[in-house]
Parts: sequence; C-alpha cells; structure tokens
Amino acid sequence: MKRRELIRAGVLAGAAAALRPPLGMAQSTALSSELTPAQSGVDASKDLAAPGWKPLFLDEHQNETLIVLSYLIIPATDSPGAKEALVNRYIDLVLAADTRETQRAFLNSLGYLDGESMRRFKAAFRYLSREDQDDLLHALAYPRNASGWTGERDAMPDTGHAHFQALKQRIMTAYYSSQIGEKELGWDGAFAHGSYEGCDHPEGNHK
Amino acid sequence: MSMNYTAEDALQQTYDAVVVGSGATGGWAAKQLAEAGLKVALLEAGRAVTPKEFTEHMPSYKLKYRNHSPEVVRTRPIQKQCYACMEYNYEWFVNDLENPYSTPPGKPFTWQRLRVLGGRSLVWGRQSYRLSDTDFKAASRDGYGDDWPLTYADLAPYYDIVERYVGISGAAEGNEMLPDGQFLPPMKMSCGEVLLRERVKTKFGHTVTIGRAAILTQNHNGRLACHYCGPCERGCSTFSYFSSPFTTVKDALSSGNCTLFTNAVVSHVNMDNEANKARGVTYVDRLTRQLKEVRGKAVILCAQALESTRILLNSSTREYPNGLGNSSGALGRYLMDHVVGAGASGRLPDFKTLPDANEPQRPNGIYIPRFRNTPSSNKHSRFIRGYGFQGGAGAEFNFSAEGYGASLKKAVKEGVYGMSLGAFGESLARWDNYCEIDRDLKDAWGIPALRICMTHGDNEAALMEDAGATAAEMLEAAGVKDIRVQAGVEMPGMAIHELGTARMGSDPKKSVLNPFNQAHDVKNVFVMDGASFVSSACQNPTLTMMAVTVRACAQLIDRFRRSEI
Repeated sequence: MKRRELIRAGVLAGAAAALRPPLGMAQSTALSSELTPAQSGVDASKDLAAPGWKPLFLDEHQNETLIVLSYLIIPATDSPGAKEALVNRYIDLVLAADTRETQRAFLNSLGYLDGESMRRFKAAFRYLSREDQDDLLHALAYPRNASGWTGERDAMPDTGHAHFQALKQRIMTAYYSSQIGEKELGWDGAFAHGSYEGCDHPEGNHK
Repeated sequence: MSMNYTAEDALQQTYDAVVVGSGATGGWAAKQLAEAGLKVALLEAGRAVTPKEFTEHMPSYKLKYRNHSPEVVRTRPIQKQCYACMEYNYEWFVNDLENPYSTPPGKPFTWQRLRVLGGRSLVWGRQSYRLSDTDFKAASRDGYGDDWPLTYADLAPYYDIVERYVGISGAAEGNEMLPDGQFLPPMKMSCGEVLLRERVKTKFGHTVTIGRAAILTQNHNGRLACHYCGPCERGCSTFSYFSSPFTTVKDALSSGNCTLFTNAVVSHVNMDNEANKARGVTYVDRLTRQLKEVRGKAVILCAQALESTRILLNSSTREYPNGLGNSSGALGRYLMDHVVGAGASGRLPDFKTLPDANEPQRPNGIYIPRFRNTPSSNKHSRFIRGYGFQGGAGAEFNFSAEGYGASLKKAVKEGVYGMSLGAFGESLARWDNYCEIDRDLKDAWGIPALRICMTHGDNEAALMEDAGATAAEMLEAAGVKDIRVQAGVEMPGMAIHELGTARMGSDPKKSVLNPFNQAHDVKNVFVMDGASFVSSACQNPTLTMMAVTVRACAQLIDRFRRSEI
C-alpha cells in the first residue's frame, strides 16, 4: 500500500480515535480502559447485596415470582438456597444487558408458569400454596416420553418441560456461580491444593 | 518482574532484523537473533502485559456478570467463539469492531486474535506435539499435495532446543506418528483415563497418552512448577505455562540487543525496488495513529499466518503487483485449519469417585495420536491422512441433574464420572482455500483488511464421520454408558490453528518461501510462522512453528556472519 493511501485512510480512522481519551504520546503500558474490570482488580461480588436494590429489567411481580420459583428449585437445606444467594438479582442483571430475544424468551417461560397456574388453580404461581406449587412443578420437571404402547410418538412438543428447563438452568447457573453456591459445592476458597496425583490403582482396577 | 521497554525514534537506526509479532514464533526469533549479537527491533501491535493483570485466582462471583458480560458480546462477537475469551480477559483479544475481516456468503470463518505482547501465547492450549516424517512426506505416501522441503531429521535438533527451553511435560511412547521429545515428567492420568488407556491398547492397539503440554511439572529455567489452579488462559502468576513475554521476549530484551516497539501496527514492508530488497516496515502507532518506519537489513514476519500474509499482500509494488514475494501466485493460498466437530462423551456409572471442589486442577488432558493411514495400518478406503483425539475423564458436578429441590442439590454434589474425546483432523492444503485483500474494508488504523475464503472439504467431513464412530467405540471399550456422538464439521477457524498462505517449497514457481522461510523473490524477507506450513498434519502446530523458526534463525545468523544479508 502506498504511503499516501495510508495517510488518507488514517484521516478516516481519526474519527474512531477521537472517541478515545487524548494521548500525547505512545504508551507501552496498559491504559485503564484496556484492562477488563477483573484485570483492574474490581471486585463486584457485593454489588447485588447493595441496599435499596431495585430490579433493572423485571417488574415486581416477575421478580417475586422468580424468588419463589428459585427457592423451590434450590431451597435452603443445611446450606443457604437460591433466595439467600440473591439468584433473582443476578438473573435480573444479566437479562437487563441481554438481547430482546433472550429477554422475551425468559418472560415467556415465566409467563407459562403463571398461565399453567391460572389454568389449574385460578391464581398466579407465587400466590399458590406450597402444595399446589409442588404439584405444578412436578408435572413440568421431568421429560415426557411416548408411552410405547401404541408405538406412536408424542405429537406435541414437551413445551412445559422446556420452559421449566430454561428457568431451572438460569437459576442453577446463578446459584452455583455465587459465593454461596461455590461454598455449597465444598470449595474452601483456596486456589492451589497441591499437585495433581491422579490414579494410583493397580492395573485393571480403577473404580 | 519488571521490564524496561523503550520506544525510540525508529528513523535513527537500521536494525539487523525487524521482527513483526511477539507471540510464540516472534519471541523465538527475537531471542535467537538478539542473543547471537544481531540488533533486533521487535514490533508488537498491542500493548505490553504485566502479571498484575493476571486473573487466574479470581473466583467468578467477583465478576459483575460472572462471565456473562454483555461487553464481551458487544465488542468481541467473533472472539467470544473461543472458550478462552471471557469476562476476565477479553481486552487481550482484538476488538472485532476495530479489526474487521470479511468472508463470502455461506462460508463463515472465525478468526481468533490477540493484540498484546505475547499474542496468543498468553491464552494458547499449550498442547505440544512433534510431527513425524509421515507428515512431512505425506504427499509421497498418498499422492496428495506436496511434501515439506524438510524432513524430520532436519527439524529434530530444533525441536530439542525448543522443548528444552520451553519445558514440555509428557510421556515417551515410542509411537510411530508422534516422535518423543525432551520431556519433563508427565502429568498424571485420572482413573478413567488409565482405564481407557488399558482398554484401547488391548482392544485396538492404539496409544492413549497424557497430553504433552508446555506446562512445567517441575521448576525449570527460572520458572516455577504448575500449582494446578486450572485456568491458564487468564495468566499465570508463576509463569508455569509457556508464554513469550516472560520467557523468549524477556531473554531478547535482557540481551541488550533487542528494542521493543509496542502499539506498532505494521501495515506493510518497505522496499528498495532497485536493489530488490526490503528496507524495513511501516507501522501505524496504535494510539496516536502516526505513521512510522523501522529500518532493517532483514524483515521477519511472525505476525500469525493470516496477518503475516496480509502484510505481504498489502506490500505490493510495481514489481510485485499481487503482493510482495508473490511471483508464484501462492501467497494467500493453501489456507488450513484443523477440522474439529467430532467426538463422543458419556459416563462411567460404576465409578464412585465424588467430584471435589478442592481437587488440584490439571490444565491438561489425554491424547490419542493418529492411527489412520499410518505406516503400520491399512490405507483407509474413504479418506487420506487422519486425526488425533484429545479428551479426559473425571468426576464432575452434575449440573444437568433432573428434578428440583433438596434432591437436586444432593444430585449435583453426587456428580457423574464423565469421559469425552474430541478429534483434531488434518486439513488438506487446497488452492481454493485462500485469503486476499478486501478492497472495501479497512481496520481502525486504515489498513486494508482480509477477505478469508475457506471451507472444509469431503476428506475433512469423512475424517470427522470416522472420528465420531471410533471415539464411541473407544469409550464403549472402557465401559462408558449413555454415549453421545458428534460427527459434524465445525466452521473453519474453530481449531485456531491457521496454517499455510505463504508455504515453503523448493520450487519458486509453486511456493512463497524457501526451506529456510526466506522469500524466494526477496532475499531479506522471511515469514517464520504457521504461514510457512506445507501441510497441516493433525497435531497442534505451535511446537513445530517454534522449531521451524529456530531453524530458520540459525540459518539467518549464519548468513549474517558470512555477510550475505
């Protein structure tokens, strides 16, 4: 490429340059804008617990429904559950930044739950008794296969289970990526645990 | 660790060698040439990198989006197709909005790039395998394509040099397709992997070995052994995996003979047309957008296969209207990337080992070297060449457990013992797979961008189909249940092993470079990266790229000593 062409191209590129902070000279070390927040040492783990938290994307009913559902899917046992892990707040944060398509798909799934609830119990999911909530979730939680008696395949797609799975996967991701979730898995908070020792069984006996 | 980088005025000095790119190969070129006493200018398009920005010990709950950042999606829609590009480190990867390239309709190609000191050596997969003469002389064996203009014996001493310096952990196996090297002690295998090794040997006669990895299993050359924290691609505070900024580039700078230019986005090679010699390169300062020139007696491109070729294509002159050093027409042609998309996975229900969040994380897997179309196996009826498998086995938390409630929490922790294999297949060198300059597209620095045209062909598809079936058979032999098979072909670029486009050869009419990576047409221009590969083999290429670079540098140093440059 000719030098003149490059200079001309450089003028156009200047428009992009104008968006950057002014710089007198070339720097060899990183500009703060060229590090990810993580590389700059930002710790965002307390953000979701901030006082006065309000949802960015979900409305109040959706948020409350999500809290109820997430706690049914991952309840407190001998360890805290989804509610304590603020699973709803994380899901809201991620959804707020996601595409309309993804946002709509999530709301569809949440809406399906309320739709089923209204159809069967004449009330929205979050207002049902624990017993009725369980009854409804049980019907959705497991995939349905054709009976095999007639040899015919289920003509209807398993919509209910698909919506349940979509919501459950989000809740699981949110829970197990939280500090509470890492602890639930048994992580002791250390990064190194010695050398990888591998298999020391005699040949042919590896269970 | 501190580094002293100086950015001096380029016009004041003519260097012996201008090395473009500071990754796996550029780092080696700078080190070898500078330590031999040559004055080297090392140009890197990105910024310097420091250990302060390593994040391998940061749990994901400290990330605002816990690794689902919309910023990654917005600015790295292509880069995020690589598993290693994440909320932790996405700034190491190029901003796709500033670094465009085009592809023809219906022929997607994913191009993963880093522009930062060390390039992709910061995030590479670290798997390090030698090629054998079955690879270097593949064309003579099956009639397809061309042999390399060098043999295993030519390259073996340079593999030795690279391995001894880098530190490759691995096990010697005496396998005909996978020559042994200078190994540090191998990492250990899990129980499932040992079982697979035993069964695959008994039933099929094939070798299952631990991955040969550029990760230290003992302290080596001033670097510490791996501490098994896991995510190497976020940086390593003990420098236990090989990356150029903290090894080769550091050595080059310590020699006192190497000047590093960061933020130097090289646009083209400058020619002295009368002498038919390169006189250096022009770069755009990444931050100020100023044009600068660095003069050198030799120009060595180590910018990554497609980038090195892009620079040559953008360096056209009246004498070389179709790209510098392109009298053969082969520049940009024979683009390769290992074919991926096939494998199998399942679980070993008899294994009672529970997943353990506090288990040391081995950043390595197992490897099954190529067993199709080998000297000791029959010629396959449906395809030439072959593939290798990478994989692993171990106890995992069961995040896809059924149901909900307390029983779900319990099932997650009980986990499953999983095993999987994924194939990397040879990508045939084809004239029709190429890159060229897209006249309508420029990057943010005004440099014309590439149009990349590549598809995998019938042979690659046949390899993947066979790989899916053989992976399933091997897992079945180990007692794996619920086996799921993949036998597809992923889009080119997914293996991140781009090779070719400035191939070596003895015949200047058919190749761009001579057997020592020197341009046939312009004797002081060299391409010392994956662009020079004649065929792709199926092994991960970085080790071979580094060995080829060290060999070419040895020859270049000799030529300098004889005043031929």
